[in-house]
Amino acid sequence: MLDSVSTSPFPGTPAGEDAADDARPAPGGIPDSGLAGPFPVGEYARALRSKLRSLARVQIVGELVNLRPSRARVYFELRDSAGAIPCAAWLADWERMAARAGVASPEGMQVVVAGGCDYYPGSATSSPGFSFAVTDMRVAGEGDLLARIDRLRKQLDAEGLLEPQKLLARPLLPRTIGVVTGEAGKARDDIRAALTRRGWAGRLVWGFVPVQDRHAAPAIVRALSDLAGGAHAEVVIVARGGGSLADLLCFCDETLCRTVALLGVPVIASVGHHTDRTLLDDVAAVSCSTPTHAAEAAVGVDCVRARAQQLAAAARLRELSRRAVLSRARLLAALSRAPSAHLDRQRARLHQELREIRAAHRRRTASERRLTAQRALVLRRKADSAVLDCRRRRPRDLEQLALALSAHDPQRTLERGYVLVESPQGEPLLSAARARRADEVRLRFAKDTVPARIIHR
Amino acid sequence: MSAEEPRTYEAAAARVEEIIRRLDSGDASLSETLELVREGKGLIELCARELAAVGDALEELRLDELVTRLEDEASA
Repeated sequence: MLDSVSTSPFPGTPAGEDAADDARPAPGGIPDSGLAGPFPVGEYARALRSKLRSLARVQIVGELVNLRPSRARVYFELRDSAGAIPCAAWLADWERMAARAGVASPEGMQVVVAGGCDYYPGSATSSPGFSFAVTDMRVAGEGDLLARIDRLRKQLDAEGLLEPQKLLARPLLPRTIGVVTGEAGKARDDIRAALTRRGWAGRLVWGFVPVQDRHAAPAIVRALSDLAGGAHAEVVIVARGGGSLADLLCFCDETLCRTVALLGVPVIASVGHHTDRTLLDDVAAVSCSTPTHAAEAAVGVDCVRARAQQLAAAARLRELSRRAVLSRARLLAALSRAPSAHLDRQRARLHQELREIRAAHRRRTASERRLTAQRALVLRRKADSAVLDCRRRRPRDLEQLALALSAHDPQRTLERGYVLVESPQGEPLLSAARARRADEVRLRFAKDTVPARIIHR
Repeated sequence: MSAEEPRTYEAAAARVEEIIRRLDSGDASLSETLELVREGKGLIELCARELAAVGDALEELRLDELVTRLEDEASA
């Protein structure tokens, strides 16, 4: 039977303030059960809250994690190796406590909180919840999480893994940049805007990954490998906006840090705010406070300014070259006039010499002409003499020769009445003996011949 | 008669003088005399033709006109 007469689930604890509000009659309990009740759950919840609130207020110490601010309240957990307690504080109280502790966000820190147990009984439409209502807080020192991160940092440093990335040569003007970031994060826009301001026009390859929770680190490792390998990125930016230490824990992942340290492509880290320092910042080639700075670090040249400078330099070079050419052209023009003047002098000299030659030639020609005329005159006189010689002297000589010759001509003897006795062949017969032997002869007179016969007595 | 017929005036005249010297010597026979006289007569005719031709050619040169023209040019 149910102990329907009992008015409170916790003896000695007053029932909830609103217990009388529920006027519905209680149903019957579990038969044969010796437990009190059944109590309406709302009544029990309120009684539980009263019971928890009546517990002694204490201080507890643990690592503050999973900090979740809301509109009016701040929720977090205190943990240690043996257990955890969900905690809550009013937002105004929390801000006051954080300010007094001197920390913006005690996430991951070892803290001591003061307060007591509380319970929100919920309602028909809202869930109930237990929390340790914190009314005061003090930072107790680095938490285990930070200590673990620090140990890992020292280990990586001892293995020399903080240096390899810093020794990689970073291209001043990469052609391909890989970016590992959250698809919906503001870092994406900041990087794109910074690269645009830089005037960079290379290839941007995005590797969108979750940037918090337990899936983030493996996804970032895969994205880095893909960008460095398949996408041939020459530099990779890993960017994430601000967050609690717990949010940024994935960037302290050991596998991720070792992967980055041994990656052949320089990694530029921009994780959280400038006060946050993750292990990725330590192993990366460059650690930047904002995604904008990361983008500027990735592209070492302000392309817009460089283009403007080059244009100015080109314009200056053009102007200087124009002046140089002009000055040299003037010099050349001046120099070119010297040969021209020299040519003019030589030309005038040549003209003068030509005039002299012409005058000398004329004089010589006139002289030669006179001499030629004189020679022609002499020649003519010689010719006249020769003609006279041919017409008179030489014919006279010939006549003398002819007369001398004719004195010996036998014809003249015949003309005086002599006869020449010849053989029939015309050979003169110069003796009587030859005439008698000839028998037949020919008698040559001055103007005719007569055949004759020799009479032998 | 000589073996070669003289071709120039001077050679022909020299041959005629040689013939006369031979005839004047009285050593030539009658028949040689006849041949020498015939040769000498031919050579004299040759010389006469040469003289006429040279005289005509000299006159045809018109050296008078040439001298006149050259003198005119020299005085110009």
